[in-house]
Amino acid sequence: MSHKAAKLGITGLVLAIAFGALLYTSLGESAEYYKHVDEVFATSDSAQTWYGKRLQLHGFVAPKSWEQRPGSLEYRFKVQSNGKIVQAYYTGILPDTFKEDSEVVLKGTLEPDGFHVTPDGVIAKCPSKYEAKSASGTGQGI
Amino acid sequence: MATLGSYLLLAAFVVAAYAAAMSVAGARRRSNGLIESGVGAFYLVAAIMSAASAIIVHAFVAGDYTIRYVQEASDSVQPLFYKLTAYWGGLDGSIMFWVFMLSLFGSAAVYANRERQRELIPYVVATISVVQMFFLFLMVVHNNPFSTFLTESPTEGRGLSPLLQNFYMAIHPPTMYLGFVGLTIPYAFGMAALITGHLDDSWLRATRRWTMIAWLFLTIGLMLGMLWAYEELGWGGYWFWDPVENAAALPWFTATAFLHSVMVQERRGMLRVWNMSLVITTFFLTIFGTFLTRSGVVQSVHAFGDDPKLAWMFTAFMVTTLVVSFGFVIYRLPLLKARNELDSWMSREAAFLANNWILLFSAFFVLFATMFPTLSEAVRGERITVGAPFFNRWMLPIGLALLLLTGIGPLLAWRKSTLINLRDQFLFPVLLGVAVGAGVLALGVRMWSAGLCFAFSGLVVGTILQEFWRGARVRQGATGTDLFTALIGLVGRNKRRYGGYVVHVGVVLIFLGFAGSNGFKQEETGELRPGQTMTVGGYTVRFDALKVTDDGQKQMVTGHITVLKDGKEYAKMYPARWSFRRHEDEPTSEVAIRRSFAEDLYIAMPNYNPAEQIANVRVTVNPLINWLWFGFGVAAVGTAITLLPETAFAFAVTNVPAGAVTTSLLVLMLLIPAPARAQHIETGRAPNTAVQTPLEREVGHAVVCMCGTCGRKLVSECTCAKAEEMRSEIAALVKQGQTKKQILDFYIEKYGSQQPLAEPLDEGFNRLAWAFPYVIGVAALLLVVAIARRWSRPAAAVAGGDYAVDADLDSRLDDELRNLD
Repeated sequence: MSHKAAKLGITGLVLAIAFGALLYTSLGESAEYYKHVDEVFATSDSAQTWYGKRLQLHGFVAPKSWEQRPGSLEYRFKVQSNGKIVQAYYTGILPDTFKEDSEVVLKGTLEPDGFHVTPDGVIAKCPSKYEAKSASGTGQGI
Repeated sequence: MATLGSYLLLAAFVVAAYAAAMSVAGARRRSNGLIESGVGAFYLVAAIMSAASAIIVHAFVAGDYTIRYVQEASDSVQPLFYKLTAYWGGLDGSIMFWVFMLSLFGSAAVYANRERQRELIPYVVATISVVQMFFLFLMVVHNNPFSTFLTESPTEGRGLSPLLQNFYMAIHPPTMYLGFVGLTIPYAFGMAALITGHLDDSWLRATRRWTMIAWLFLTIGLMLGMLWAYEELGWGGYWFWDPVENAAALPWFTATAFLHSVMVQERRGMLRVWNMSLVITTFFLTIFGTFLTRSGVVQSVHAFGDDPKLAWMFTAFMVTTLVVSFGFVIYRLPLLKARNELDSWMSREAAFLANNWILLFSAFFVLFATMFPTLSEAVRGERITVGAPFFNRWMLPIGLALLLLTGIGPLLAWRKSTLINLRDQFLFPVLLGVAVGAGVLALGVRMWSAGLCFAFSGLVVGTILQEFWRGARVRQGATGTDLFTALIGLVGRNKRRYGGYVVHVGVVLIFLGFAGSNGFKQEETGELRPGQTMTVGGYTVRFDALKVTDDGQKQMVTGHITVLKDGKEYAKMYPARWSFRRHEDEPTSEVAIRRSFAEDLYIAMPNYNPAEQIANVRVTVNPLINWLWFGFGVAAVGTAITLLPETAFAFAVTNVPAGAVTTSLLVLMLLIPAPARAQHIETGRAPNTAVQTPLEREVGHAVVCMCGTCGRKLVSECTCAKAEEMRSEIAALVKQGQTKKQILDFYIEKYGSQQPLAEPLDEGFNRLAWAFPYVIGVAALLLVVAIARRWSRPAAAVAGGDYAVDADLDSRLDDELRNLD
């Protein structure tokens, strides 16, 4: 009986370690930090530590900052929170709920010239005060 | 009526408490009278909940907007169907609907088992009643759907969120709830067995059907949710690994595991602790899923509000459930000893065990990844998220392993497979799998995951064919009938086994759908003007025109698109954007889908500009996606076969020509995936033309829409029919060679005032209009200063004293006053 218990224990341990290691490595590749704009730009040089890293940036679309290159799907807009503001670049279709002052989460990387949003990386929350069931997002799910 | 509703909920709570107490007391004192009384009270809860539901439905249909919940989730122009489904359109109502369903389902289960499971019934009643009490308590103290406005009540509702005004979304929640609620039944029987110590397999037999029904509803509910996401959200996919979706999938994984491992216990008396734990975990996950989505613990695009109070109540309930349930499992461990041991890893039970591990691992992996942002914030103080790619990377191999097991499991013998029967069993399925794999390789598929998926699917189909073929041959030999009759008889003799195989066929189709729509999806986005085209996956999409129509409830902007394939016209498609009244800032995408057996052509129009006649379109080609829906249909039919009463098959075999039965079953299967519904009804209006001259554009920006309901939107931006009429009017005037001044004068004359102008003309008396806001602003500022000075004087004597004010009522009053405008 104890022999069997030992066998089971070792199998379990090996499996657990293997899965743990797999999980850890794959997590490292696909994890994204979830930050608010004012967290990233807390001090003048705190933003530099985030250059090139994958981020999910939370903020609000700054009023009158939204431009589209005519005849294309290239957009440029600013995102702000608590007084900090950053320029964002995006190519693609913006979700229904994206508009001035709407709450957005952008997926992408921070570069010195601004935040580059990955394709379909804009998730806009419903601004309505109605207990919204769902806001539309664009995403690279299945 | 609202008061009556509130009292009914209160009464239901009291009666449920009575039911729980009486049945436990009755069981302990062995008093049949007390038990009967408890069961009677349990039925009474169902009656009371039905009455309460009738009241809320009546309120919705009659438009009783004094009830807050009714006001929030419906309005007078909503079609009757959505007024009815608004019952579960919000949080409060969905909790009530949950209790309603649980009371009905529980009553049915108790009624069906009242004779056979005499010892268990009192504790089943007690367990379900306690669950009901929790949700009733939530409603009574926190989320009363019958709460009314404290001040003046509005005369019109806010309307159900437009995104929910979709057929699938209307029936998705009740299906989901039926699944969730149904899973409470096996939990209640399991708990009753633990408490009474009657731990033979009778509780499993009693709940087998209920688990199956719950699983069926859960599966269909998931499919409806996916269909809704596919058709309504307009991004061409159906699963986003969003916390809300994951929450629904979690109990599905463990329930599926339970359905399989139950067979091992029935057959071999093993895995008894495991099964009990699975039932408890499944129930826990249904509650946990509700908690996740309703409390704001995880961030989701399905933006539910933060509600810490609700979160704490749920946490308390969940912790209690876990501690009590597993406490009993540990207490009863001696009685749960396995009667047999695993003989060999080459056995059916080992395959089931592997299947269970994988499913359970899936559940915990999804749980872990869903909770990861919250966990990382708690542990490291930084919110780190993982997205869909992370889920996909993990779930892909897990799914493939499961598919492989689906093929292998049925081929292994119970206890131990010998080498000879392994060869005998595996030869055909493996050959078929290899052939299919080679076939897709020859067709040019170079993606390992898709290739494996196809090969494994071949293996599974081979297994199922072989099982049916051999079984039918044996039965044919034994009964001497033709093959079809033998087949029907075979299925009838062992419905669960062969119904299960039909479910597996559905699973194969679902996997092929996954492989096709994930691996070979093609997508392009573009900005199109009338006449411009774009090409995606063999289809040429030509944008013809943008039209604006209105049906009283909503405004519809429709893109008219002609699709060409091989140079010939293939289809006309009409993707649209609908803006519902009072939800103008939440327009919905009405996707145009051209379905076919091989692939879907899916066109969404997320953005448009009516004045310039520009549409942004997203064109997606989704191969094999309809196999996914069809697979769900087949799985549902398979489950239905296992649930059919014995007599149905006996009748079919003796009285009906066998061919007829087979044909009707096939027809039924084909009918299950609903035919593609019409997306959009075009009411017809000549396409307007794009803005031709700069002057036209300028005037478009200077004149507002005069339809009276658009709230002074600029003509160039407004999407209503009136604006379109005005745009063509302006175009005509410009064509006549009129200047901007002349056109504006024309409108001033036409409407008898400067009302049509976006801004008052900057001249004479009108300058005052420009100054007016500033005057008001300064005056208001002065007033504020004066009042502030006056109020900050030391009070000589403040009249009155402290009122005892309910803080909660007070804040609600504040809220409502604020909303009154």
